[in-house]
Amino acid sequence: MSDSLLVVDDVSLSFGGVRALAGVSLEVRAGEILALIGPNGAGKTTLFNVISGVFRPARGDVRFLGRSIVRAAPHRIARAGIARTYQVVRPFGRLTVVDNVAVGALLHEPTIARARRDAREIVGFVGLDAYADRPAASLTLTQRKRLEVARALALRPKLLLLDEVMAGLTPTEMDGMAEFVLRLHERGIAAVAGVEHVMRLIMRISDRIVVLDAGKLIAQGTPEQIRRDPAVIEAYLGAPLGDG
Amino acid sequence: MRRPLPIALAVVAIALLVLAPLALNGYVINLLYTTLLSVALAYGWNLISGYAGYFSFGQIAFFGLGAYATGLLVKDLNWEWVLAALAGGGVACALAVPLGYVMLRLRGPFFAMGMFGMAQLVRVLVTALPASGAGAGLYLSPDFNVADAYYWTLAIAVGAIALTFWVDRSAFGLRLQALREDEQVAGTLGVDVTRAKMAAFTLSALIPGLLGGGYALFLTYIEPDAVFSSRLDLQSIVMAILGGVGTVWGPLVGGVVMTQISEALWARFPEIYLMIFGGLLVVLLLLLPRGIVPALSKLLAERRR
Repeated sequence: MSDSLLVVDDVSLSFGGVRALAGVSLEVRAGEILALIGPNGAGKTTLFNVISGVFRPARGDVRFLGRSIVRAAPHRIARAGIARTYQVVRPFGRLTVVDNVAVGALLHEPTIARARRDAREIVGFVGLDAYADRPAASLTLTQRKRLEVARALALRPKLLLLDEVMAGLTPTEMDGMAEFVLRLHERGIAAVAGVEHVMRLIMRISDRIVVLDAGKLIAQGTPEQIRRDPAVIEAYLGAPLGDG
Repeated sequence: MRRPLPIALAVVAIALLVLAPLALNGYVINLLYTTLLSVALAYGWNLISGYAGYFSFGQIAFFGLGAYATGLLVKDLNWEWVLAALAGGGVACALAVPLGYVMLRLRGPFFAMGMFGMAQLVRVLVTALPASGAGAGLYLSPDFNVADAYYWTLAIAVGAIALTFWVDRSAFGLRLQALREDEQVAGTLGVDVTRAKMAAFTLSALIPGLLGGGYALFLTYIEPDAVFSSRLDLQSIVMAILGGVGTVWGPLVGGVVMTQISEALWARFPEIYLMIFGGLLVVLLLLLPRGIVPALSKLLAERRR
């Protein structure tokens, strides 16, 4: 446990009688890629919202680098080193692509000129150079997904929460995103990738997989273990795993 | 990047406004004063409503508060008017901090209506105080020079434009615009949204608070309807909207255009000028929904291509 970056400890949260999360516990180790898999409504986005401080759980604790962050404001959690993307992309539409990224870069670069320089570099890293000075509202969905990641990277996080970054992408684009996640890995940034389906791609890039279903953690382990887990097969109604 | 032309223009404009009271008659000075006042109020409103996106219908409360604070300090405690007017700004800020802490939890129409209600409440409370002459108002010494009120307001208007110019280019301004676009996302990107909103709200109270003292001197008679004036509030908001919300030059351009149209119409069609004016505003806003300045900069950008 000594190298665990994030510990989610028995977290529960309900919305008007619906159990969104029921006693979920998991850990993320430094530098690893953890896939968080579960069907639509399993609680992946809710868990991301709890970790990033958008929601406060009814019960349980979240610790990052050994310190409880469960009561901290979102900007404090961002400063501590956790960045996230949103499943439904949410660019600051009227700001330019560079300024979208510069908002996060201000965390480490106090002046706007330096934050913008930093942002420009990250915009290049995700391949949006050509759109750097356009309003974010003019981007396509794929480009917006990249912008989400760029904004998160500007925080120089130790842990990146990726909420459905694969959704809506073509197979080629998914390969690109997978490459990108692996590059994070090389930089020592841990990632939790929330995805709906157990894709071969996810199997290939993740170190470990956690499976959520109806707010409960039903399985965790290496991709090989998950592939054979009866509870996981049950949750996906016997759908062939590892395809698609 | 040096841009000598705009700087030279600004210097000439300020110099002309400084010299104006020496050359022009009382009517024109009064017109200039009321224009400067509305423009400066519009700049105050633009910070919280334009940059931070919190649309307020209650900033006039800070104006009235500044006017009453100045009036009382000058009348009852014999303060120098400059100090009293500065104190008016201080009082406005002192109210803005707790008020903002509560009100900025509301969003959208709830914040707008909440601020409207707060302004009414502040008005009732201030005028209920025996010291402020209750509903009857406060008479100040009539020896105040209108030029003093004029220069005070000119200085604050220039200061408000300079402040907005800075905000527009600063990290603070970028944080405000980010939270205007999406407050939750701004928070998870490390923006302390509460702090940024509070700072914008306090600056948006400071400007009308300082202007209120000048207005008290200008009127030499303070009464609730005059200083908690919904007309003045609305007028400045319309100026900002017409010129372009959340832009550096919008409130100034909107203010100048509105005053010019209003004066021209008033002189030619005294009976029905408000009707024509209202109709014209509707047409302008239908044609330029985001205001004059954004429309012009879009046009310029397209020309350049």
